Amino acid sequence: MRQVAIAGVGLVKFGRYDGQKGRPYREIYELGAEAIKKALDYASMEWKDIQVAYGASMFGGLGVPNQCTSRLGMPGIPITTLEGACSSSQQSLRQAYLDVANGLYDVALAFGAEKIPPGLIADTLSPVWMLMMGFNLPAMYAIDTRRYMQESGITEEDMARVAVMERKNGIRNPNAFWYQGAEITIEEVLGSREIATPIRFLMACANADGASAAVVCSMDKLKSKSRAVTVVASSHATSTFGYDNLGIRVHEKVNLNCTELACKQVWETSGYGPEDMEVIQLYEAMSPSFLWDAEHCGFCKPGEVGKLLREGHFEIGGKLPANTDGGLMGRGHPTGATGLAQLIELFLQLRGEAGERQVPNAKIAFAHCSGGGPNGVCHVLKR
Amino acid sequence: MAASTKKQIPCRDGLWSIPSSLDEKPQLIGSKCPNCGEVFFPVNSVCVNCQSQAMNDIKLSRRGKVYSVSTVMLPPPQWYKGPVPFDLGYVELPDGVMIWTRLMGSGAGSFRIDQEVELDIDVMQVDDEGNEILGYCFVPVKS
Amino acid sequence: MREVAIAGVGLVKFGRYDGRKGRPRRLYPDLGGEAIRRALVYAGMEWKEIQAAFGGTYYGGLGGTHQCVAKVGLTGIPIANVFSGHSSEAALRLAYTRVALGVHDIVLAVGAETLPPGLLDNQSMPTWMRRMALDVLPAEAACSAVRYMKDSGATLDDFAAVTVMERKNAALNPYAMFKQPVTPEEVLNSRMIASPLNLLTTCANADGAAAVVFCAKDKLKSKTKAVTVASVLQTSATYGTALPGGSVSVSTRVKNPDCVELAARQTWEASGLGPGDMDVVQIYDPFAPAFLWNVERCGFCRQGEAPRLLRDGYFEIGGKLPANTDGGLMGRGHPTGATGIAQIAEVFFQLREEADSRQVAGARVGFAQGGGAGPQAVLTVLKR
Repeated sequence: MRQVAIAGVGLVKFGRYDGQKGRPYREIYELGAEAIKKALDYASMEWKDIQVAYGASMFGGLGVPNQCTSRLGMPGIPITTLEGACSSSQQSLRQAYLDVANGLYDVALAFGAEKIPPGLIADTLSPVWMLMMGFNLPAMYAIDTRRYMQESGITEEDMARVAVMERKNGIRNPNAFWYQGAEITIEEVLGSREIATPIRFLMACANADGASAAVVCSMDKLKSKSRAVTVVASSHATSTFGYDNLGIRVHEKVNLNCTELACKQVWETSGYGPEDMEVIQLYEAMSPSFLWDAEHCGFCKPGEVGKLLREGHFEIGGKLPANTDGGLMGRGHPTGATGLAQLIELFLQLRGEAGERQVPNAKIAFAHCSGGGPNGVCHVLKR
Repeated sequence: MAASTKKQIPCRDGLWSIPSSLDEKPQLIGSKCPNCGEVFFPVNSVCVNCQSQAMNDIKLSRRGKVYSVSTVMLPPPQWYKGPVPFDLGYVELPDGVMIWTRLMGSGAGSFRIDQEVELDIDVMQVDDEGNEILGYCFVPVKS
Repeated sequence: MREVAIAGVGLVKFGRYDGRKGRPRRLYPDLGGEAIRRALVYAGMEWKEIQAAFGGTYYGGLGGTHQCVAKVGLTGIPIANVFSGHSSEAALRLAYTRVALGVHDIVLAVGAETLPPGLLDNQSMPTWMRRMALDVLPAEAACSAVRYMKDSGATLDDFAAVTVMERKNAALNPYAMFKQPVTPEEVLNSRMIASPLNLLTTCANADGAAAVVFCAKDKLKSKTKAVTVASVLQTSATYGTALPGGSVSVSTRVKNPDCVELAARQTWEASGLGPGDMDVVQIYDPFAPAFLWNVERCGFCRQGEAPRLLRDGYFEIGGKLPANTDGGLMGRGHPTGATGIAQIAEVFFQLREEADSRQVAGARVGFAQGGGAGPQAVLTVLKR
């Protein structure tokens, strides 16, 4: 396999483009096309350089990627949509990477676009009979959280602390939902409305619209090789026996979950370990999963994460800066665009272009993205 | 009696020009590429043919010819609230494009290929607040 | 790229599994799981040998492939739901390339569908277009059919003849939805959907599932009558041949090959073969007239020539270029997520000499045109 570089990235600020309450109205394909154009500009490439495209969109419909690309050009290249719930756009990047790494194509595009319908996110992964009995996404998270709290000793205050940190980071990110927004306190988070105990309103990511795009290419197609960022490893794993389709453990633990499996694979293929990572992205649609993600990905020992969090370990100035752009909670969560946005933040960090979020001299980065299926997708990037 | 606050709202902003005098008629607003001459409707900021980003607004010709037409017998599942059966087709404009459009103004099934038609703006449906939603369609030329 | 073989295929009979009128009620994960198991049995493999899976469902919702796979095994392998027009065409292309490139040795592609009744909801257009009914799915194909009649001289009788041929073939296919042949009169008199397309020249909504296992040729359990992939090419809509996203205009100035022609050109180049080398073909025809123009665009005859060839029996099982020998979309039914793999499966059976009364004698090279919304095209050449 040959080296694959990320040649360019593009983001459309996560927010609401629904035309309500004075906000702008933009169609999903306009968001996607804009992110793609930005990525092409960054890469100093043109649409005609793209040989294959992988797109993502969860709620817009499976044809959204074609709608996005056909705003820019229609040369007839293969365009494929990846659907992995919240991991969709990182799966798009993975397929683009595999095509280039294995020499099928030289220049590939990955992107995601999303406009979230208002209200609670619909769950089509659970069979109707479960939905009729009241199962829903926050409740599933909550069930997992209660169990994790018991096993690891993390508290509701720890969960609130994640939310506070991510909001603070998001405020510094011009492409985040909470850019220039108000900080929140632990008390405010703990006082916010309960969704499904112990998950509270301010512990859940903001529904948002947005788009993300990246151009990947072989090294010889890179226009500028300075500070080149390469994809060192990519992995994708799903449920093993003992877990349900949202990744929740339903038996005594006999197998690794998909996060642990996906991480194991990138550590093996990259030759690096968690201790080598300098800036990371963990997946947390609701704040408790930041905590168990840190553990499952190998960044701390079981039971340790609460203490590390309280010590500021994951803050931008800490030992292992995580979700420096705000993560899902600070950035907002346009489900079809989130996974790639995680990688884009890592790319900017490695390039030294993260502004006031910059982790000094970051050279190697890790992302884990989860999605209903379940899916665990991991990447290691290096400068 | 309260005054009516009913409005007429286009199904999407910017699809057609609003006449400023009684002699003027609405025209569809598209984009034309100064580089290769391709035309798009609705407006597009990039030329899908040559990727030029210097697009200019263009008002499309009001008249065209039917390129193809089909009479739809089944109502679409959601948003359409108009008569069934109804005609859909492509109208070829001298500007170098065909427009995918409803064909109305005479009985469903009455349109023929190459028939001359012209733009019309019609009230399609009424929303929950009583506002009239407007759309574009093409109707037989009154000759 | 190394040689890739098809180790096995599995089909679940296409039909309606809606629990009404005495029919069984089964949801797509169940159908998909069964198709996967059948493919594994055919391949002589166990689930744990599968290293990755691609697949999907068009209308079933999220996580389609995962839900089908979960009926069979949970081994943590990468499972990707994919789509390009429909699901199984994109799935088979990715499954094939990942094996050809050496990313994995044994990969599954699966497509499954349980469709809602009635006119399918077209989500590819924004609301403002849908208020104007511009989303009606058969209408664009209907307009293409009207134009095709004008440009080629094809008649409604020619369209009916496609359905008649495919229904006749379907009656010989245990996996097809339709068991009864139809007469030209029945086709012509059936209820109008969008002129000139009527009920029997429009493919039927159907439920069903299909699965295929690709493996590196050296990993085949049995090498006798091995069927390998000569090429898989995928394209998307080209400028001037389809509506761009969010747009309602198509250029009349620029003449480009459409996605099918483009994919066909790439196919002949990549496979080193030509249309004349094909012994048996699958043509994508969600509407009967599409059979005719797609046969032309794939390069099997000149533009406008297909209706005459059809009348001459050219595409019959006993003809010069047997097409849609299992019934095609008109005879098989069209579970959108599964059709692409079902097309491959029939070509596979033909090359393996397992097509029973549908068998084309001496078939050694086959072709499948997969299609879908966009439009998009995935063209496959298999050989033995």
